Order: sequence, then C-alpha cells, then structure tokens
Amino acid sequence: MAKNWCAAGNAFSQAANLHLQMQSKHDAATNFIDAGNAFKKADPQEAINCLNRAIEIYTDMGRFTIAAKHHITIAEIYETEMVDIDKAIAHYEQAADYYKGEESTSSANKCLLKVATYAAQLEQYPKAIEIYEQVGTHAMDSTLLKYSAKDHFFKAALCHFCVDMFNAKLAVQKYEEMFPAFSDARECKLLKKLLDAYEEQNLEAYTDSVKEFDTISRLDQWLTTMLLRIKKTIQDDESDLR
Amino acid sequence: MSSDFEAYEQDFGTITAEVTNKIGRIPKLSGEEKTQLVLNVDKQLEEVRELLEQMDLEVREIPIQSRPMYSSRLKSYKGEIEKLEKDFKRSRIAYSDEVRNDLLGDDAGSSENQLIKLREERAHLLDNTEKLERSSRRLEAGYQIAVETEQVGQEILSNLHSDREKIQKARERLRETDANLGKSSRILTGMLRRIIQNRVLVFMLGAIILLTIILAIYFNLRGH
Repeated sequence: MAKNWCAAGNAFSQAANLHLQMQSKHDAATNFIDAGNAFKKADPQEAINCLNRAIEIYTDMGRFTIAAKHHITIAEIYETEMVDIDKAIAHYEQAADYYKGEESTSSANKCLLKVATYAAQLEQYPKAIEIYEQVGTHAMDSTLLKYSAKDHFFKAALCHFCVDMFNAKLAVQKYEEMFPAFSDARECKLLKKLLDAYEEQNLEAYTDSVKEFDTISRLDQWLTTMLLRIKKTIQDDESDLR
Repeated sequence: MSSDFEAYEQDFGTITAEVTNKIGRIPKLSGEEKTQLVLNVDKQLEEVRELLEQMDLEVREIPIQSRPMYSSRLKSYKGEIEKLEKDFKRSRIAYSDEVRNDLLGDDAGSSENQLIKLREERAHLLDNTEKLERSSRRLEAGYQIAVETEQVGQEILSNLHSDREKIQKARERLRETDANLGKSSRILTGMLRRIIQNRVLVFMLGAIILLTIILAIYFNLRGH
C-alpha cells in the first residue's frame, strides 16, 4: 500500500521460504504468488522468478489449472515488460497443454490463439496454420463459438497465403466445404479478391480491395502486417518479372 | 373646309378603331373566319387610305396660317396607318398562343418556359441524388456499426465459453468436496459412536469389577 513493492516482495518471499521449511506447500505457493504480484510493479525479472517457483510447487501438488493460470501471467509479463516473444510463446504453450490436460479446451484455445498470433508474426507459419485450423474446426461445432470460426479460418488462410498461393486456394476451398457460412463472410470475399489480384500480379487491385475492406472494418496490427508481407511478395514478383 | 376635315378625322378614328380590333382578333381565328376578317381589314385599310388622300387635298386648300396644325395631324394619322398595316401583316403570319398550344399539346410554351422547366428538373434531380448519397452514407455507417457489434459479440461469446468451463469445473470440485465432506462427517460420527461405545463398555466393565470386588469382600466377610 505504501508502494514499497520491492520491500513487500522480499517480505513475501521470505514468508514463503519459511512456509516451505514448515512443509506447508499451499501457503508457500500463495506467498510466492503475492511476492510475484508485488514485484510485477517494480522488477519483472524477480516477479518471474517468484512465479516460477510458485508454479513448481503447484505442479508438484498436481494443481495444473492454477499453474496454467500463472504461466499465462508470466507470458504476459514477457509480452509487455520484457518483450521476449519466444519465452512468451513457450509459456503460452505450456499453459495451453495444462489446460488441455484439465479438459478446459476453451481456455486452452485462448492460449493457443495467442501462440499462433506470435508464431505468425515470427514467420513460423506451419505452426500457426495448424493451430488456427484446429481452433476453427473446434469452434464450428459449438453454438457459442460459431461466429468466431470464420475469423479463425480467415487467419489460417492468410498464413497459407504468406507461404504459398496455391496452398491458400486449396485451403479456402477446403474451409468452404467444411463451413458453408464461411463463403458468405466478407473476409472470404476479400480473400478471393486478393487471390485473384495475386494471380494477376496486380498491385493496384490488391491495394484497392484491402482499402475497401478497411473502410468497413478497421484492420488491426496483425492483419496489416500479414497483408503487407503478401503485398511485398507481389512487388518482388513484379520486379523479378521485369 | 375644316368641318370636312373634322368629319374625315372622325371617320378615320372609327375605322382605325375597328381595324385594330379586327387585327387583334385575326390570330386567334383560323380558316374561313380568318380569311373573311383579313378581307375586311384590307377593305378598311383601303378606305382609310382614301380618307387620308382626301384629307391631304383638304389641307392643301386650307389657308397657310392654319395649315401646320392640320398637316401635323395628317402626318400622325399617316404614321398610325402605317403602323396598323405592319400589325396587320404580322398578325396574318404570326401564330397565336392558343393555336400553338393546340398543335404542340401541353409541352408547348416558348423557349423561355422550356428553360425554366429544365432548370427545375435539374434542381429536382440534384436533390434526389443528394438524398440518395446521404442515405447510402448512413447505410454504410450502420453496416460498420453492425460489423463492430459482431466482433464485440464474438469476443464476449468466447469469454463466456471459457467462463462456462471454469464454472463447470468449479461446480464439479464443489460436488467432490461436498461428497468428501459427507464422507468425513460420516466417519466422524462413526468415530464418535465408537468412542461412546468404548466409554460405555469401560464404565460397564468398571461397574462389573466393582461389583465383583464388593461381592468378594461380602463373601469373605460372610465366610468368617
């Protein structure tokens, strides 16, 4: 409360060590979590250490859900404060595995989606494609998640596109078969237009269709990056042809 | 002399009035009536010219003092006659508005009317286009809002889904703990019962032992 985060964090970790000595693991773990929260405001590295120790204790006890939750917290710290995307991805994956082990597929999907976004940013396309397809197929069946399924397929198709155009075409067809509503979506229409523009190596048509889509619904950071990459490949091809 | 002249003037006045009237009527008529009127006007114009000639002769016979007055009057009459003749000619070839309307129907009208109508139509069309543009802009804005709502809805739904799972897990754990608690409470009651049983047994045994001791002492004393 007095904003002495470091002192509070240290106090908590000492308490936790004492608890460990007394063999009361639960209390130790809770104190480590408190220490982690206190350090989050001051020193991210220390926070991550405390959280890691807490996670070890929880996994020993077999409480994977809580461990998974804290993996996500650590990953978020890596995302924001320390910008270490690889470690963040690793933690998200770990969290997703734990969630799957505990049969909370929805939370697992949430983590996996984050993994996929970062993987695609780092150009690890196969992983991203797999994750998006998996999540998409799973979402199709659930009444609640139907409306997000088309979004996942769109992203998967974009990743295919970054790799290779023909893959993208096949993928789009496959998704349409699996999920008829996908073909009505604006995103699907955009995809088809982009495919055509790419085939014809027509840069203006590409930019035009992207701009049109943008006027209706803003393109976010990730989408703009991917579309820009695809556009660069068109430009490269054009310059190669010349 | 002057009375003749005045009589001529009066005649002149009446005939010119008639001629003007008829000239005014000519364009509105057509066919038989028109040709008749035209002939009439022709005849009257000739009469008027003869009148003018006679007036001229009269003026020449008037003494020079009063001549200028009469001669100027005569000049003005001649001017009037010329004007009447011009009007007559024009009325014979000009179309009147009514005939034109009959020929051209409702869209008739002079070119000025047409211009005005065109301008009106143009303004009307521009208005319409503007209204259309406004409504299409509003439609697009509405569509944008709908799409945004859809995205927000997607997020909310996925959150709901994961929350649902969490709640289900929590409920299961609750049920487990409930069952465990039930079991433990049963065990505890069992323990309690056994403790009571044990205590009762202990008391009974103690009582029996006491009884045996008392009996033993009693028999001993009896035996003495």
